[in-house]
Amino acid sequence: MAIINLKKKEVQAKIVYYGPGRGGKTTNLEYIYKKFRNRIQTEMVTIKTHGDRTLFFDFLPIEIGRIKGYDIRIQLYTVPGQVKYESTRRLVLRGVDGIVFVADSLAVRRNENVLSLKSLTENLASYKKSISEIPLVFQYNKRDLLNEGIPLLPVEWLEKDLNSKLNAPSFEASALKGPKVVETMKKIIIMTIDSLRKDLT
Amino acid sequence: MAKQRDRDDFRSQVEDRLEHLFQEDSPGATDEHVGLVEHPLKGLKAVMLSIDWEITDSTMDSLLNEIKNVEFIYSEDRIILTFLQLLGSIGRYVKANKGRAHPEATRLINSVYEALERVALTEGMSRSHKEKMLLEEVAKFKKLKEQVMLRKGEKQQPVVSEATPPPAPAWESEKIRGEGIPAREEEFPVRKEAYLETRPEGRFSEMSPHEAFAYALEEIKNVIRAEFRALRAEIKLWRESK
Repeated sequence: MAIINLKKKEVQAKIVYYGPGRGGKTTNLEYIYKKFRNRIQTEMVTIKTHGDRTLFFDFLPIEIGRIKGYDIRIQLYTVPGQVKYESTRRLVLRGVDGIVFVADSLAVRRNENVLSLKSLTENLASYKKSISEIPLVFQYNKRDLLNEGIPLLPVEWLEKDLNSKLNAPSFEASALKGPKVVETMKKIIIMTIDSLRKDLT
Repeated sequence: MAKQRDRDDFRSQVEDRLEHLFQEDSPGATDEHVGLVEHPLKGLKAVMLSIDWEITDSTMDSLLNEIKNVEFIYSEDRIILTFLQLLGSIGRYVKANKGRAHPEATRLINSVYEALERVALTEGMSRSHKEKMLLEEVAKFKKLKEQVMLRKGEKQQPVVSEATPPPAPAWESEKIRGEGIPAREEEFPVRKEAYLETRPEGRFSEMSPHEAFAYALEEIKNVIRAEFRALRAEIKLWRESK
């Protein structure tokens, strides 16, 4: 749930990057942080563990600035993707306002994507939130590997597996190299702020 | 109506602000090296990407097999070969230790592969630049080796024995070009090496009584410290599992 302080005119929204392990959630935030750190002027917090994996979460706050008298702050989080950290994922989802589902385009990861989306649906339900109602953007990551001859899932398959019922906006991205990383983030921020507008008037 | 206009205005202001904040100078960083479509490293890259670091024997076997394939192809290229030997050494260590492997090992395996890919694919890279990149990875490898040694020394009580110290391990005797890169299976230090690192010069029986006592006392302290560290780690894990 976003923190909206009407008295102080502050809005703080929470966006979570969710998806299977090693899919590129942290890399998304790292790209944004490295590329725009001079502009966003905040620090990224990350807690890693064995083999560079996310242990609890990554956290990147972004100050959007004052709009219509409201100070808008966005908090980007990632969840640990590894299967064993289910309880941590659920915890990070508490109070979430928008989700980016980072799917792994590698052909060998097809099942992991589906399982991760299922876990997202269940974890949201535990907070009485529906995946079909919360602002959601899909990012099909690692598309750059197509040029390197690595077997990837066709986007049509990813859409069918993950997005056929939800019909959420989706982007073909490469978190490592940058294409569509920023677009994904802008889209989810706009959708999230949109969903909060009714509380701001 | 006015409310709707106000909302649209709000949205467009958010869009403008985001555009201003996140305007990209050159969208999609250009990659200076060529692709891997028909490259000998293609298979290795696929394995690297497929490895889930919840490490299993089969993923690590795939990695080691693919390294062997590429080693054959690059048998004439000393630099690439050394990169591959580094990868193989760390891979075997990770395979043997799995979840107990040093956290830096999995990080290093990625780092070595990335450097290898750059060296192999970047057109026009000078030999000295390639060697420099190799030496950087070798330095990281050496550091890891020390950390592993230290870790083992912390975890295990050194064996104080009057026996002749064990011969130098394979990685000491079979260095490649004097760079400390292991060429055989026993590349990471085992318990006895840790003991040798911490043990004073000379054999235990040759120490004077007060030296032997001081040494034994220090060892006991080390063991107690290590036990406390292990206990703290256990408590932390237990809390996380709750």
